[in-house]
Amino acid sequence: MIGSLAIVLLTYYLTAVSLTQRDRQILQAKLGDYTAAYLRGGINVLANTVRIEQRAAPERLFVRVIDRGVEAVVLSDSDGWDPARLETASVRLADGTLVQVGKSTEAREALLARFRAALGLVTLSIVVIALTGGWLVTQSALFPIRRLTQAVRQIIRTGRTNARVPLAGTGDALDELTALFNAMLDKIEGLVAAMRQSLDNVSHDLRTPLTRLRGTAEMALAGPSDVERYREALADCVEESDRVLVMLNTLMDISEAESGAMQLQREPVALSDVVARATDLYREVADAKGVAMVVRTGTGAQDAASQPDAVVMGDRTRLEQVAANLIDNALKYTPPGGRVEVEIGADGQAAILRVRDTGPGIPAAEMPRIFDRLFRGDTSRAERGLGLGLSLVKAVVEAHGGTVGVENEPGRGAVFTVRLPP
Amino acid sequence: MRALVVEDDSSIAEFVVRGLREAGFAVDQATEGEEGLAAASRQTYDVAIVDVMLPKRDGLSIIEELRRRGVTMPVLILSARRSVDDRVRGLQAGGDDYLTKPFAFAELLARVQALVRRATRAPEPTTLTVEDLLLDLLSRRVTRGGKPVDLRPREFSLLEYLMRNAGRVVSKTMILSHVWEYNFDPQTNVVDVLVSRLREKIDRPFDKKLLHTVRGVGYVLRA
Repeated sequence: MIGSLAIVLLTYYLTAVSLTQRDRQILQAKLGDYTAAYLRGGINVLANTVRIEQRAAPERLFVRVIDRGVEAVVLSDSDGWDPARLETASVRLADGTLVQVGKSTEAREALLARFRAALGLVTLSIVVIALTGGWLVTQSALFPIRRLTQAVRQIIRTGRTNARVPLAGTGDALDELTALFNAMLDKIEGLVAAMRQSLDNVSHDLRTPLTRLRGTAEMALAGPSDVERYREALADCVEESDRVLVMLNTLMDISEAESGAMQLQREPVALSDVVARATDLYREVADAKGVAMVVRTGTGAQDAASQPDAVVMGDRTRLEQVAANLIDNALKYTPPGGRVEVEIGADGQAAILRVRDTGPGIPAAEMPRIFDRLFRGDTSRAERGLGLGLSLVKAVVEAHGGTVGVENEPGRGAVFTVRLPP
Repeated sequence: MRALVVEDDSSIAEFVVRGLREAGFAVDQATEGEEGLAAASRQTYDVAIVDVMLPKRDGLSIIEELRRRGVTMPVLILSARRSVDDRVRGLQAGGDDYLTKPFAFAELLARVQALVRRATRAPEPTTLTVEDLLLDLLSRRVTRGGKPVDLRPREFSLLEYLMRNAGRVVSKTMILSHVWEYNFDPQTNVVDVLVSRLREKIDRPFDKKLLHTVRGVGYVLRA
């Protein structure tokens, strides 16, 4: 806008200057003509020339000749000449005579005045258009920001995270910000929902063992006073409360892993180390049960001996827990004389941990629920356990960006396969 | 041995104080932070047990203040928080060990005694004995009544741990973390299995049993 104003001003100035110059050039030319006429034939010839020209020319000129300090001849009617609006040029001849030609600036002023008016109108339009346009542009640019601000305010006020800001669909930076903001809300909403869900689950899951705990104590108190009975009941209570604690910790771990809140201390971890520690932990248990435990490395999906060891970026303790729980599960379901095989390997995309057993396999009906929390297949087995081991395996593996799958090997048993990104 | 317990929960404080007294400690007790700091500044203690969440002044700031004043007594931190970060923060504040609530008193006692032992720097024994059971730490040989007992490495570690804590009950969690260095709970009780195998070898052939199960608490090796 300032630019347009400057252009307007410059145009006006240049026009005014060039008009003035044109007038001056006309005056100089006339002055030359008249001086020549005067020199040729004195005042009479000059007077004639002027008279002829004045009749012909549309514009009147003011001409006077001053002879040696005394105003002698004025060859034009002196009336109506306003000295303030007179542009003059003069020359003093060798004999001291001054010839002066004048021209009214009235026409020029009028022209410039009209020009000024026109320019003023243009300038005004520019200013109005610029201001209105600017306001409109600012308004339309601010609109999505206002919408965003309003949505944020709404969320803060109500504490509800299900509000979303509609996209303008322009694909510009603000649209991108809005989309990101919505994505962030999705994430927060997901986390809050997951936390709420896991809190519900935990409180539900704790009711059963707490009821058992309370029942044991209550029965002891209701029965006859007997120190040995009391001791038994108290020992039961301690064991039950330990189980509650283990359950609580495991449930929290599962919830954290599932919601993405688990802090993984990632470092390069060799799966062979993880498996060595886990098999070491269960060695005595396997021996006691008469189950052979075998570790095999270099088992890729396609190429058996391609990579002898698989290294992943993961949380060592958590991965040890994964391996331990899978081995624990396999040992539980493998009858004496059976075999648990742990295989480590890698294919092009992932590190692989596979645990095979020679148990009965998983009944088809239980397959879809095997990773569910607190699901314990075939309870008639009376195996100890919380039914959380496999859920934790799944949650931790998925928190690492991996997958875990299970299938039955015909005539052999169950095979759990964990795939972890390198 | 003098111990200071700074804990605001009265029932936890009571069982810790009573347990420590039974174990032969002279115990002073504070129920809030400022009082705890004042007590620790007034008196010299062999060990302090400090809860993190306390009224008036939190446990970590008490420890920091004591360390700033040059007090070097070992401190066991009690906390309801179990994350690695919290543990690290506690140790960085100047704590010597960290125990998460809820805990078995047996574990608290073992940790307190280990802290005191470390601070007094008793010379390391090279052999451990309980009755006629003898464990040589250098040759890694075990005999009972003069007869050699053949132990596998994990059984040896378990026996060593039980003998070092002879007369004290150790919990399954403690065994798990000392013998396997595992800090989570395996689903199957691997400790039960190892203990029964060890029992087979050191107790079964003999009339006098040394390795006892304390139901609900853990195991103890005693004459």
